[in-house]
Amino acid sequence: MTADTISAILVSGIVLGSIYALMASGLSLVWTTLGIFNFAHGALMTLAAYVAWTVSDGAGLGWGLSAGIAVSIAALIGAGILMERLVVRPFYDHRDILLITVMTTLAATIFLEKGIQLLWGARLKQLAPIWPGKVELFRTAISGQEMLIIIVAPVLLGALAFFLRTTRIGRGIRAVGQNPDAARLIGIDVSRLFIITFAMSAVLAGLTGILLGSVRLVTPEFGAEPLVKALIIVIFGGLGSLTGTILAAYLMGLVEAALTFFIGIYWAPSMIFLLLIIVLLLRPQGLLGKVVR
Amino acid sequence: MAGNARTFMLGALIVAGLLVPFFVEDTYIRHLFIVAFIYGIVAASWDLSLGYAGIFNFGHIAFFGIGVYVTGLAAKLIGIDPWLAMLIGGFAASAAAVLVALPVVRLQGVYVVLVTFAFSQLVLQLVISQSAVTGGTQGMVRVPTIELFGHNFLRDYKFGYYYVAFALLIVSAACLRRLAHSDFGLSIQALRDNEDYGVSRGISVGLQRLKVLVASAFFAGLAGGFYVIYLRVASPEVFDFSVVSLVLSMVLIGGTASIYGPIFAALGLTFVSEGLANVEGLAEGRFILVAVAMVAVLLFLPKGLASLLPVLRRLYGRVASARRQR
Repeated sequence: MTADTISAILVSGIVLGSIYALMASGLSLVWTTLGIFNFAHGALMTLAAYVAWTVSDGAGLGWGLSAGIAVSIAALIGAGILMERLVVRPFYDHRDILLITVMTTLAATIFLEKGIQLLWGARLKQLAPIWPGKVELFRTAISGQEMLIIIVAPVLLGALAFFLRTTRIGRGIRAVGQNPDAARLIGIDVSRLFIITFAMSAVLAGLTGILLGSVRLVTPEFGAEPLVKALIIVIFGGLGSLTGTILAAYLMGLVEAALTFFIGIYWAPSMIFLLLIIVLLLRPQGLLGKVVR
Repeated sequence: MAGNARTFMLGALIVAGLLVPFFVEDTYIRHLFIVAFIYGIVAASWDLSLGYAGIFNFGHIAFFGIGVYVTGLAAKLIGIDPWLAMLIGGFAASAAAVLVALPVVRLQGVYVVLVTFAFSQLVLQLVISQSAVTGGTQGMVRVPTIELFGHNFLRDYKFGYYYVAFALLIVSAACLRRLAHSDFGLSIQALRDNEDYGVSRGISVGLQRLKVLVASAFFAGLAGGFYVIYLRVASPEVFDFSVVSLVLSMVLIGGTASIYGPIFAALGLTFVSEGLANVEGLAEGRFILVAVAMVAVLLFLPKGLASLLPVLRRLYGRVASARRQR
């Protein structure tokens, strides 16, 4: 194994890890705060890519990339709020809220996926890259967009952590996550924070979609594979810990890149799932997680 | 009295089911019945693990898919008799259920969802990646079909297939119903409603969960086996999200923990959804309607349409007594 191969594996692992970290942190945020699992997270990501494409691309409105990103993020905030209202909020008082919201968010996924297919058709789309051209990183050539992903992901996640630790709303969100009843007792508007959390998570999914939309081809099922990976990462990292999730995301990216290199693209996903089952047999609370709930 | 009425109703329904092919000559309508019966078995067997045992098993469609592929491969590549291959499909799904149960019996809540979900993805990935054997995303074609006393199932306008599907449905429903109402069924319901109390009365959580998964997977696998023998093709689309949500909505709309509910919902939904598929522009849109219906049922009728039955009965009773007083 030459230095070049090692570098290639590392670089592609970090690119994957950055995407997964962005995706999984949104899932993890909703899980820690609301105690539900949003299966529509991937569909939100797809929606963002399509909205950005329509606004920015010449075949759509042709207003340019920055307008596309701005409109897409605004749309995702709306979509996040709507989703919380329609498929999550009605079930807060239910005994089996966790299982019911799995079903309702799955229904939301179908709704979005099929709706996107109806509106935009099955033809493949691709966003224009924000950072065109090629870049060399540790002797491995990657596209500028992938470089952008590597840089943007940690910045965004750092900002998210900063927001959650220092601002009033951020600390409120963490308080609600730890104990909603106590949070309500000390005067926190829990239901408002639920909406804010959901909207933030939707924006994280949307940003992933926008960033990835010029690297991969956008189809109605664009978000499905990243969602599955994000689910696994959240389990690996242990539910309820943002740091754990982010660490697990990068670890997963590297493992996937290495597996793809050594055993090929066809067997790599199966190996990852097998690994997941083994990890859960040995440590049901996740690799880095503590026992919660 | 109520018990007699129910037996009578069921008997009448079975007779009606037996008579259908004599009155319905249209091959397409017969095809819809057959597909609905298959979905009915899958939905009813899912009801055993989801409704009665309360295990949120998200991999049930994977058991169906395993039945499809194992039966297809056994019949096509190894040349096993298709009747036997269907049974093998059922047993293979049960074997897979043992594998899933290993982590599931130790986990709680959302982890069960995630592991079973990951399991179904694992099966899907395996099918796609081993394209040399399974045909990959292209699917597997020309699966041999069943034969009985020299009867040709391919040239009788789906007459024979209808009865095989109907028989499978009745036998599966009877077995599932019996399981659900046996002592075993009571014990899994006890664990669902109050695990701590159930355990304190000497019920083993791990063992019962394992048995439930194995039993419900068997029927899903059997249905998958018949599915591939009947359609003679297998494609990875059987693992699709939209199939999962369609069958899940059958269980929910029909009402969990009832076995019969999901079967009737399967019949209704198959006809509605296929009917909509023929409406211009609704081929994809029908899944949107299914999704909306699913959320609406969860919102307004958490026990499914079956929960309307007692209301109707009460209404009927009131009308009847009012009439008597007059």
